[in-house]
Amino acid sequence: MALRRIIKELKDMQRDPPTSCSAGPVSDDMFHWQATIMGPSDSPYSGGVFLVTIHFPPDYPFKPPKVAFKTKVFHPNINSNGNICLDILKDQWSPALTISKVLLSICSLLTDPNPDDPLVPEIAHMCKTDRFRYESTARSWTQKYAMG
Amino acid sequence: MDDVESELGMVNYVMAALAEEDGDAAEQVAALATLCDVLAVAEDGLSSVFPVSELVAHLPRLVATGEGDVPVFAARAIAEACEGVPPWAKNFARFGAVEALRDRLVAIDDIELAEECLRALDAISQECPVLCLRLGVAAAVLQFFDFFSTSKQKVVLRIVDNVLNDYKAEDAPKAIEAAPALCNLLQSSTDKTILASAVSCLEMVSAGASGSAEHMNMLCELNAVDAMMKLMENNGWKNLSDDTLAGIFGLLTDLASVSARVTESLFEFNIFDLLKQMITYYTLSHRDSNKVQMLVGLIYHLVPPCQNSDHQNQLIIAKKQVIIEQIRYIEQLASILTLIIEVAKSVGLSSICYSCVVFIKNIVKLTTPDFLMELQKTVNLSSFLACLLARKNRHVIFQTLNVSKALLKKHHQFFIEAFIKEGVKHAVDTIQAREKDAKSIHKKKRNNNLQEICLCFDLDSVTSSTHEACRIENMAILKLAEEIKKNFLAKGSTRSPHMFGCVSKSIRYLSAMLNGHATGPPTENQNLCKQSSEFSRQLLSDELPSTSTFELVQSESIKHLAGYLSNGAYFNSNLRNCQDLIGQLMEVQNRLQKFAHLALTVENESSEKPLGILVDKLIDALHTCYDSFPVILDDEQCTRESTMIPLRRSRTEESALLYIKFSRSSGEMGLKDYDDVLPVYLSSTPESIEEDLFPDICIRTDRDSACKETTQEASGSGKSVGFRDGDGHSHRSSKLTLSYKGTKLQPSVPFFEPILRSMHGGQSDIQIDPSFWDKEHKIVYRRRNKSKKISPHSSYHAQLSCMHEKLEMSLLKDPFFSTTLTGKLPGDLDESDPSYNFLFMLKVLEGLNRFPYHLSMCEKICKFAEGYLQDMDGLKVTISPIPRHQFVSNLLTNKLELQMQDILFGDGLIPSWCVYMVENCPFLLSFEARWKYFCLTVHYSFMSGEVSSPSETVKYRVLRSNILEDAESMLNKHGSDTRMIEVEYEEEIGTGRGPTVEFYSTVSHGLQRMGLGMWRGDNTSQEDCEASFVHAPFGLFPQPWTSAKTSSQGISFSDVLQKFKLLGHLVARAILDGRVLGIPLSKAFYKIMLEQELDIYDIPSFDPTLGKAVIEFHALVKRKKFLETSLERTSNLVADLSYKNVRLEDLCLDFTLPGNPEYELVPGGSEKMVTLDTLEEYVSSVADATLNSGISRQIEAFKSGIDEVFDLKTLRMFSEDEMERILCGEQDAWASYKLEDHIDFDHGYDVNSPSVINFLEILREFGRDDQRAFVQFTTGAPQLPLGGLASLHPKLTVVRKQCDGKVDDELPSVNTCRHFIKLPPYSSKEIMRQKLKYALAEGLDSFHLS
Repeated sequence: MALRRIIKELKDMQRDPPTSCSAGPVSDDMFHWQATIMGPSDSPYSGGVFLVTIHFPPDYPFKPPKVAFKTKVFHPNINSNGNICLDILKDQWSPALTISKVLLSICSLLTDPNPDDPLVPEIAHMCKTDRFRYESTARSWTQKYAMG
Repeated sequence: MDDVESELGMVNYVMAALAEEDGDAAEQVAALATLCDVLAVAEDGLSSVFPVSELVAHLPRLVATGEGDVPVFAARAIAEACEGVPPWAKNFARFGAVEALRDRLVAIDDIELAEECLRALDAISQECPVLCLRLGVAAAVLQFFDFFSTSKQKVVLRIVDNVLNDYKAEDAPKAIEAAPALCNLLQSSTDKTILASAVSCLEMVSAGASGSAEHMNMLCELNAVDAMMKLMENNGWKNLSDDTLAGIFGLLTDLASVSARVTESLFEFNIFDLLKQMITYYTLSHRDSNKVQMLVGLIYHLVPPCQNSDHQNQLIIAKKQVIIEQIRYIEQLASILTLIIEVAKSVGLSSICYSCVVFIKNIVKLTTPDFLMELQKTVNLSSFLACLLARKNRHVIFQTLNVSKALLKKHHQFFIEAFIKEGVKHAVDTIQAREKDAKSIHKKKRNNNLQEICLCFDLDSVTSSTHEACRIENMAILKLAEEIKKNFLAKGSTRSPHMFGCVSKSIRYLSAMLNGHATGPPTENQNLCKQSSEFSRQLLSDELPSTSTFELVQSESIKHLAGYLSNGAYFNSNLRNCQDLIGQLMEVQNRLQKFAHLALTVENESSEKPLGILVDKLIDALHTCYDSFPVILDDEQCTRESTMIPLRRSRTEESALLYIKFSRSSGEMGLKDYDDVLPVYLSSTPESIEEDLFPDICIRTDRDSACKETTQEASGSGKSVGFRDGDGHSHRSSKLTLSYKGTKLQPSVPFFEPILRSMHGGQSDIQIDPSFWDKEHKIVYRRRNKSKKISPHSSYHAQLSCMHEKLEMSLLKDPFFSTTLTGKLPGDLDESDPSYNFLFMLKVLEGLNRFPYHLSMCEKICKFAEGYLQDMDGLKVTISPIPRHQFVSNLLTNKLELQMQDILFGDGLIPSWCVYMVENCPFLLSFEARWKYFCLTVHYSFMSGEVSSPSETVKYRVLRSNILEDAESMLNKHGSDTRMIEVEYEEEIGTGRGPTVEFYSTVSHGLQRMGLGMWRGDNTSQEDCEASFVHAPFGLFPQPWTSAKTSSQGISFSDVLQKFKLLGHLVARAILDGRVLGIPLSKAFYKIMLEQELDIYDIPSFDPTLGKAVIEFHALVKRKKFLETSLERTSNLVADLSYKNVRLEDLCLDFTLPGNPEYELVPGGSEKMVTLDTLEEYVSSVADATLNSGISRQIEAFKSGIDEVFDLKTLRMFSEDEMERILCGEQDAWASYKLEDHIDFDHGYDVNSPSVINFLEILREFGRDDQRAFVQFTTGAPQLPLGGLASLHPKLTVVRKQCDGKVDDELPSVNTCRHFIKLPPYSSKEIMRQKLKYALAEGLDSFHLS
């Protein structure tokens, strides 16, 4: 069942690719994907290309996929291991969601960080009190890690 | 002969040496040493050859005047002589030995000499204590106490003990001399045995001096009170032995009873604070009635009694003076009064209750009206009085009436209103009427054995020796009641009925509204529905709190509510015909849903849930039925030591037997006579005896037809067997009717109960008269009327059980639901008993409180189906249950505890109400009490016939590397052995408890290993396999196995089954041997263990994401069905139905089990897709595979494992949480001292922040449930990973919460992603605790769908 669903999602993605991201299996293992996310233009991540790994659990779509950044990101809701704190990847997951919706949610998280419920409190603090410094740091990280 | 002769020669030589007045010291020493050797082995026979008279004359002289080592040896010789032949001691004493030894001791020249003196005095004091006392030995030996070694110190105290034992009053001054040193000891010594003996010596001093206030005051001046209070302060009392504690309190009570000064100094020491702690400890957590009795005794003596017996008058005035002068003393009294009232209400022994009431009476008389009015604000005195007045015990009633009278005298207007509202007036009326009746009956029949145990003199320890007549005469109660009525209650009653009527009317209206509210379909008259719902909410949250228990009962609103919830079945004594069973079922469910919603919603944070208030009042009301739950104690008071490991009884132990002479009823021709007297066990019932009895009295020809009859009846009632109506046993058809003294015996009630009841006519609590055991009790039998048909009740149940197959919701199969549906409590409980209503209602409410999630979700789904709820995100449960402990009745628990203390309990001296409560209303009893009950009765349910005592063990060796297999074969072999199992490891030396304990936890860890195919979550993707154990954040639950395959991924199913059987064995053995398992089973799995049903609403509790999806699908199915059946043309709407805006086809689900593509839910399921039309089938097959068909074989194996050891049914008295507590032990979820190591503090906090310090303290003080809730709250799951807090990743972190408004109004919040808890810096620890607790309580149980 999981496999059938994953193949369907892959086909849907290929037929109607979402703007600013792409995804597909790494090798023969359909349960292990890699995706790229373009940094949204209206954000300090603009211009960056971010690599993301996706692992589907065997009981997908009843369990959320495990999604993590491989590229380093300076963001209040993404920590140094690339873990993302996003409700739809945890308890708000629903079988009605798809990987492309998840990727889009991540894109919008890049645009609108949620410093009130942070994964990295230091960045959240900076984001709230010194927006300029936060954005410039994020931009420099993007240049350093997500370009080229 | 030679020996004796040579000895004789030697003795003569020694005597000669000793006789010389001033002989050579060295020679004397040598002679004495020889003498000692001889005496050391001397036997009685030698006494004739010894020159006793010479010896007793010389030795004391030598002790007194000898030089060098002479006194040492002389003293030793005396000691040897007296120890060998005790009567000699008197002779020595006559020749001044005591004086000589005493002087030597006090001179303390030489420690060796002193020790010998002690030894000699020890021996002499046993024989002539009086002389020793008069010669001041007690004070002398104590004088240099500190010089001696601990062992000698014990000798000193033994001497004092001997000397003071039972001394005469005239020797009191001498005895008092010893007191100062003893008091010092109390302050300086830390040795427990020394403390205990010092206290007991002091007690003897006071016992002898009692009656003389002068001497007692002297004791007080000696700081005895000081010393004892110091010993107990700062929880010191918890470290004292029971004996010491009893001694101290005996002493304090003695002192306080004769001396006002002592009373004052005790007040000064804030004794009531201490007493409060102790009483709380002994009533709530330890339920030790002896200790409570002791404490209450002291309290009584601190407050002057009000009787004016002449010789005590002065003392009373003095004590009054003490208390009245100091306001803070009165405040102390007020603080303890509240507690005493609680004790009096819930204690199981009438004598303690009586003492409490007398104390309250004394306080009431002592204090001012203002004080009492103030008191009424914090504690409801009137309701308390009404509760006690409903009892039978005449002593309690009499004193309670006295309290009522005193209160009315103090402030008539104030209390008369309260009395009317709380039902005191009503109770007085009832008592008056009853007493009048009794009076008229009494005149005709002089001889009644209503004599209850007189409690009048319980408290006056001083006068207890004199046997005065009971102070409560025959007419006393009637007179008092009449006096109260005439003088106080006749006035002022003009206004009040109105007030009372008003409240009762509005409650009655509530029930009427509720009844009307649910009848019409909600869609038709929505307005009215909303109105009434608001009205009932208002009533529940506004009126209910201010309604008194009495009003609640008297207005019959409890009955109305019962009638409403059961849709009328409660009022219907003949069960309705079952035509419309489904309709009835749905209606009752509907009503429960509505009521649950109303009763579990809080208006605001500070208000209590209406259900909680209702339950409190019901428990209160239940407590007025004190006499429905009699405690039956054997006259010989042997009490048992508490034990936590289940008891086994060995066969050889003799059990108590009852002698019953069965005789044929005079008119009965169909049966033969039975001539023998039959000894039966205490636990025997008419039901159980019939098998033995019937064949002997049955007339041969009759027998065959009788047998036929039985089989027919059995098959006829076969349907009802499967139906669990909660009482467990199906009704066996009996062929005999037994009766005792004309009363018919109930088949399931043990014989002893009705017999005793009739022997002690009328009384509720019974002390068994010894004659009961010797007598033959005559029981008459006759044939049972055959004409009796199957009752409508059981046919109703039969129908219900047929329906059960079809019912999907587990709620509907719970015993509580069938109770509600039938409007009857299970079992053959007497419906006319006053407690019946309350028990029924409590049973219903408790069930409702267990299923708030089910009820609320069901309601939401209905709303969604009917279109009132548009968004699936609204499918959330917002109500949470009230804590289960609110259902615990302290009174019933105390009574059961008391009953269980009786040594005959294990033999079956169990009143039938205990059995009924444990089986049908276990929630009323505390967990500790039920666990004890289980331990004491589990031997009845052993599966193997042989029963042995727990001290015997069976040893077994296992190989560590092969532990699961070895455990399997070991438990297959010894699982059902009732002896304890002890495990040793091959090639390891350890033996005994250690390795055994370790074995259980190792095996239970082993069963969590990945790759066994046992648990959900075992088949996650490869990369997770770094963890070798299954991590189940919501607890372990069996993984479904399809019946189509016998092996999968290299795991064979038969192995899985064996593992489950092993788990069953392991669980049963762990319970039986008191071992702890380290296995985090899920709540749902425990439910299975307790034979409760599961349904889709249980899936979220172990798999939240799957559960959420399944429930949403279920809601969608309901919506579709609703649209299809509604009248409008809705085909478009149906076609448009989607799951969160996604067409079901697009979800791309096939008919295989989520997570296991090999498991086809229907034949060919991997090719069958889920569409809107097949969704219903999909939902039910997923649920079935997950909860039922996929795991049933594993569950069977597991249960069979338990059943091989003992009957699984006996566990039903526990809840899921309690099972976990039993199996996983009481050990904390985290070891307290490690807390700082495993929690980080950040963002405004560090380890030293005051808030953090408070926080850690609060965490440490948390009980197990709170800890569990905390883990749930912060991590989102109730289970920490194996290894506890230390292995939590990321680490638990506490950060400071930024608050905009007032800090103390904020609540803590969490980020479960990162295990952050955001804690506002509250102003105090108390506020922090409150807020945390609130957050935990509200956060709990909502994890299903957060």
